[in-house]
Amino acid sequence: MPDRIPAFFAPPSPAYPSRREFLRRAGNGFGMIALAGLLQQQGLLASSSYRNPLAPRPGHFPAKAKAVIWLFMNGGPSQVDTWDYKPELAKVDGKDLPGFDKHTGFFADQVGPLMKSPFKFQRHGQSGAWVSELFPHMARHVDKMAFIYSCWTDSNNHSPALFKINTGMSRMGFPCLGSWVTYGLGTESQNLPAFVVMYDTLGRGIPKGHSQNWGAGFLPSIYQGTALKPQGQPIEDLIRPAEMSPGQQRAQLDLLNQLNRRHAEQNPAEADLTARIESFELAYRMQMAAPEALDVDREPQLVQRLYGLDNPKCAHFARQCLIARRLVERGVRFVQIYSGGMENQLSWDGHIDIQGNHRGFAQETDQPIAALLEDLETRGLLDSTLVIWGGEFGRLPVSQKGEKPGRDHNPHAFTVWLAGGGVKGGVQHGATDEIGFKAAVDRVSVHDLHATILHLLGLDHKRLTYRYNGRDFRLTDVHGNVVTSILA
Amino acid sequence: MIRSVAILLIGVAWSQVLLSADPPAPSAKEPLDPEHAAKMARGLDLFKKHVRPVLVQRCLRCHGGEVTESEFDITDRPHLLKGGLAGPAIVPGNSQASLLFHVVNHSKKPRMPHKEDKLPQEAIQHIAQWIDLGAPFDKPLVEREEAVAWTKRVVPPEARHHWSLQPLQNVQPPPGVAGHPWVRNPIDQFILDRLQQAGLEPNPVADRRRLIRRAYFGLLGLPPRPEEVEAFVADPAPDAYEKLLDRLLASQHYGERWARHWLDVARFAESHGFEHDYDRPTAYHYRDFVIQALNDDLPYDVFVRWQIAGDELAPDNNLALMATGFLAAGVHSTQITKNEVEKHRYDELDDMLATTGSAMLGLTLGCARCHDHKYDPIPQRDYYQMLSAFTTTVRSEVDLDLDPEGYRQAKAAFDAEHAPYQAAVDAFIRDQLPKRLAAWEASSASTAYREGRVWVVIEPTDLKSQGGAKLTFQPDGSIVAEGNNPSFDIYTVTAKSELPSIRGIRLEALADGKLPKGGPGRAGNGNFALSDFRLQVLGATGENATGQESEGRSVPLIRPRASFEQKGLPVAQIVDNDARSAWAVDPQFGKNHQAAVECAEPLTDAIGKTLRFALHFNNNAGHNLGRFRLAVTAAENLDLKADNIPADVRRILLTAADQRSDTDRQKLLAWYAERDPELQRLRQTAAEHLKKAPKPKIVKAMISTEGLPAVRLHTQGEDFFPETYFLRRGDPAQKEGVAPLGFLQVLTRTDKPEERWPVKPPPGSRTSFRRKALADWLTDVECGAGHLLARVIVNRLWQHHLGRGIVATANDFGTRGEPPTHPELLDWLAAELIRHGWKLKPMHKLIMSSATYMQSTAFDPAKAAKDPDNRLLWRRPMRRLEGEIIRDAMLALSGEMDTRMFGPGTLDPSSKRRSIYFTVKRSQLMPMMVVFDAPEALVSIGERPTTTIAPQALLMMNNPQVRTYARGFARRLLGDENEPWSEIVRRGYRYALGRVPEAEEQAASIAFVQRQLESYLAEGKADARQLAVADFCQVLFCMNEFVYVD
Repeated sequence: MPDRIPAFFAPPSPAYPSRREFLRRAGNGFGMIALAGLLQQQGLLASSSYRNPLAPRPGHFPAKAKAVIWLFMNGGPSQVDTWDYKPELAKVDGKDLPGFDKHTGFFADQVGPLMKSPFKFQRHGQSGAWVSELFPHMARHVDKMAFIYSCWTDSNNHSPALFKINTGMSRMGFPCLGSWVTYGLGTESQNLPAFVVMYDTLGRGIPKGHSQNWGAGFLPSIYQGTALKPQGQPIEDLIRPAEMSPGQQRAQLDLLNQLNRRHAEQNPAEADLTARIESFELAYRMQMAAPEALDVDREPQLVQRLYGLDNPKCAHFARQCLIARRLVERGVRFVQIYSGGMENQLSWDGHIDIQGNHRGFAQETDQPIAALLEDLETRGLLDSTLVIWGGEFGRLPVSQKGEKPGRDHNPHAFTVWLAGGGVKGGVQHGATDEIGFKAAVDRVSVHDLHATILHLLGLDHKRLTYRYNGRDFRLTDVHGNVVTSILA
Repeated sequence: MIRSVAILLIGVAWSQVLLSADPPAPSAKEPLDPEHAAKMARGLDLFKKHVRPVLVQRCLRCHGGEVTESEFDITDRPHLLKGGLAGPAIVPGNSQASLLFHVVNHSKKPRMPHKEDKLPQEAIQHIAQWIDLGAPFDKPLVEREEAVAWTKRVVPPEARHHWSLQPLQNVQPPPGVAGHPWVRNPIDQFILDRLQQAGLEPNPVADRRRLIRRAYFGLLGLPPRPEEVEAFVADPAPDAYEKLLDRLLASQHYGERWARHWLDVARFAESHGFEHDYDRPTAYHYRDFVIQALNDDLPYDVFVRWQIAGDELAPDNNLALMATGFLAAGVHSTQITKNEVEKHRYDELDDMLATTGSAMLGLTLGCARCHDHKYDPIPQRDYYQMLSAFTTTVRSEVDLDLDPEGYRQAKAAFDAEHAPYQAAVDAFIRDQLPKRLAAWEASSASTAYREGRVWVVIEPTDLKSQGGAKLTFQPDGSIVAEGNNPSFDIYTVTAKSELPSIRGIRLEALADGKLPKGGPGRAGNGNFALSDFRLQVLGATGENATGQESEGRSVPLIRPRASFEQKGLPVAQIVDNDARSAWAVDPQFGKNHQAAVECAEPLTDAIGKTLRFALHFNNNAGHNLGRFRLAVTAAENLDLKADNIPADVRRILLTAADQRSDTDRQKLLAWYAERDPELQRLRQTAAEHLKKAPKPKIVKAMISTEGLPAVRLHTQGEDFFPETYFLRRGDPAQKEGVAPLGFLQVLTRTDKPEERWPVKPPPGSRTSFRRKALADWLTDVECGAGHLLARVIVNRLWQHHLGRGIVATANDFGTRGEPPTHPELLDWLAAELIRHGWKLKPMHKLIMSSATYMQSTAFDPAKAAKDPDNRLLWRRPMRRLEGEIIRDAMLALSGEMDTRMFGPGTLDPSSKRRSIYFTVKRSQLMPMMVVFDAPEALVSIGERPTTTIAPQALLMMNNPQVRTYARGFARRLLGDENEPWSEIVRRGYRYALGRVPEAEEQAASIAFVQRQLESYLAEGKADARQLAVADFCQVLFCMNEFVYVD
């Protein structure tokens, strides 16, 4: 009977109290899915018109991926130092790049010459994908990954680029991918948030643009990401007041239940009253379910070591990757983990010393991510879990001048890989020019990327719409082509 | 392996563009082909007949028409030559070297046209020939006029047919139902008429207990107190309800409750958003404006006009200035790169216009930014013409005197209060001081002054600066240097010696507000560097004032000391043999410093002779003293801080009392007054009191205006651009001429709009008065948008009173919004508003006095079958309170609400002020509000959703603040120890729910409190009784009846 209880982040909306209203908002395309989900519930909810907008529902077409884990390399990792091998760049090392617009990056007055990657590259796996020495662990899994080398974005600045890759728009205030996905598919877990976000736990800050990166924009706020707080209680108000025992709180809820039911009987038409009664029962259970899901200490030592929980360099990220697996296992729809904090050098934003910066963040993430892929595969979850690796933009092939050279922002090219649910492993799509400056072949816009991710989840990006202020909005606005070559 | 092939193919082009120092472009030095003209003519002919049509039909859409794929634009020759991401597209004269030829010939990738049929072979040949002939264009593929046609688009007359764009209809309430007993005012005639047509009857009026609760929460957002409930229930007056409404509408809490509704619409927040989400600590004035305007019942048209152009319409009115915070409330990127500054500026202008459109007119103007509005008759042209109203508008901070009249009054009151203190001082000086001076003179305390064993301030007979500074002697005995401040200088100060013995000299370096950093030096940082200090004794007559050192006798000076010495620049250096080394006081600027030296031998023979002090500044450029004082003493032990007496005052002191002139007596008395301990005490008391004097309330406020400095963060580049352009596809790179000020054509009912609204700014104005024109158009009921403006606001009032607007989509009155359920009623209400001079309070009263508003929530399945969504309003819907009001209600019951109004907000969740005073920081929204659906303050929100989710329950169960409110409520309920539980439970119900509990509720509650008490006692809790009652209070807070007002 999971549908009888309200979802963790789920609501009816008396402002739009009827199903008709909801369907009108959801638009013609999505209406069909919503209707299927709602009809399914109707049988269970004969006595009440309460509907649960986070009830799981099928997509537009069958798909393998049921859940997403987005490993977000915050700050913009350098494509030419990670996955996009550019031997030509080494040949022109130290030369100027003629015609280069010095405003391409952020620091117009610190533009240096072309700079080869300080890292060695090698081919790996059956697919022969090139991987930099930064990622010895992940290199073992390249045959699971589909690389898109030709991604590009609009903005050369963090927060607009973060908004762009999260929401499809470089301005603030639009729903992010995770929100659209939970809006489209609901969630399998009614005891946990549908969409969970984790960011840096080492006190290095929250991604630029803050919670707007996982905001629901104009979608109902139930679809926004729940960011686990790095310190204290991970979720607000999860812990009972200290002065109360479980029994005392239980007695409170029992009295509340009794009084509320009397009131609901006197107002039989108000479905929300019943929903609210049930929300207290769910909350009471949540107090146990959420801490359990987040408790990685329950995992066997072997698993903890696989992720690197015993490795001080990467233990923090390992914990988050392991939590991600536990959440996905329990039916959470969408998990996003940010590697790195806010300011330059505290994230992948290697303006100064690209070598040291990237080496450090690679050490924080390489083992945990490889372990996540292996663990998901072992448990048979990889087929149904889409894993995404990438940042908000790439970095320039020219150096940023300094004692130890860095690389500045580059909106024209970056690499993203996808693995798992519905992805054809070992594929390499698109290419940058020979020095890795701009995406040149089979260019993939952020909208294309979003269309592809939605497709892998069984959602048609042109039909996943929400009407707001008179317009049917889409994640992909009026753009987007699915990158079919990476589909299994 | 697709990838490596592709790299190979584009490799050539790339190395040409990027890596070669010498691009192989045709050199200017090459001789011109003799057949050039003939080739061009043939090429042009070919272009016009065959090439242009192919390019236009098959290529233009993706390359410069609707979009510009791969940054490759073919609209004209320069763009074609420049090429796109893959490099130059053509090499004129050589089709085989031209990428364009190869991609259409499919001999290179990407094969073009993309994912479409290959061009006919004939067309490919034409293109090749044309390139070989030099690829001439007769004119661009897109005609300019065609490209700019949209900037002149005129909407057709039928575009105005949509209901909301039409003038208000002159409607009368349906007369047929006028006599029906349910009808209380004309609103009910409209509602009842429709209900009856549908075969429905409305519910009867709810009981008074429910009505007062409904009205309190609706207008004030607070629960009525039990005694107020009982008084209203018992009031026999026929107009008891009307009196209640009048009382509530007069409450200051009304503005605090209704401001929140408008702040949602105004996307109000107090931080910039984006990267760092920096605070806007002076943005709260806009919130205060909204509260004050509502409480004052500022006419709604003025309310709107001030928010758009208060700085132009009423520049001397604080509220009008604060109102412009409306335009400033949107997000603002705090880290704008040079490449993005123009795009961001257009985003910011869009935010102002889109919010104005949604909030004031219920129109989605923002949809016309990139193309004509898809559904509403709003051409892109109108968008840019309206956008230009904000062209030069920026966020600024100004100083406001929030209460000048209050200050005048408070100051007068204080002055009266202060008068006795001053009178006591004056009386003491008049009546006591002369006697006390005489007594002092007679005492031994005065001996040291007569004998010069304190510091005797010298009285210069001559002052000179070698470097040309102007030195002047001041009444307080100090010497001030002004004018020229040479790199190095020597001050010489000449005075008569009056002491029989001089043992020491003191130099005071004095702070002075007129000096840099408060002095005492004249250097930029307030420092000085005294390199040498010397004293000479000249002859008795002081001849030889030309200052030859050899003429006088140098007095050796020893044992220098100072109150403070700069590190590395000790005072010892003023009497050493090094002409450069010096004494200085960094970093103790703005303070007084003292230095003193002893004469190696007491000067006992100098009386009557001339002393010449020399201060050398030879250490650091411009480091000369700005203000100083010199004094000498006969005391054996030098005390830097010892008291001083001016030379002339000492002379008076030495004169017998009866020989002194009146002037001298006054002078001596004034000097003594500063030293009399009793007078000092009186003066101190008066000064202490004076510190409490009121000050004018000058505060900084964020406003929107023009011609003042913009609030800047890390912006690279301009704050605004002088013109707003028509942008094709909303792209700042595709400008199509300057957009002149204009308004929506469909809401303009005059042939000459340019004569009706735009005005020239008055001479000397720092603003453009374009926003005034916009404000005039918005509120113009004859020819402008006034009728729609009125419809939109009465709909908002209706929405908040009845749970749903007559137009359910309160921010969208366009064709995609919901049509009105009662269009005649909406027009009638809008006309009523205008008739009432745009005042909102009469409209509240009108709506709340209707039977429609007052009817019960009772549900009837038979009626529901006919109108399941209650669109015709046969019952009143039950509504959950907003997060802010749930909190305010708990806070009110806790008895600890702090009712102070206005001023800076807080992010402290334990604040006891109403929720409206929480700071709205975009990255740190109050969890308690967010969980109950408060908006994110990014765009205008007309209707909040009402969700029911587990985190709300968690909050009510576990949140520390909720628990604090429950404890506070419990303290109020707990009477004396022996009071029976039944009384406490009864009181709790009356406070929280406005009624007494029914028997079953009473019994269950008592049993609960009893059990909790026993359980807490068993745990040995000291405050078990309070804890048990707090648990009960928290249950009351959690009850559906508490948060759902019926």
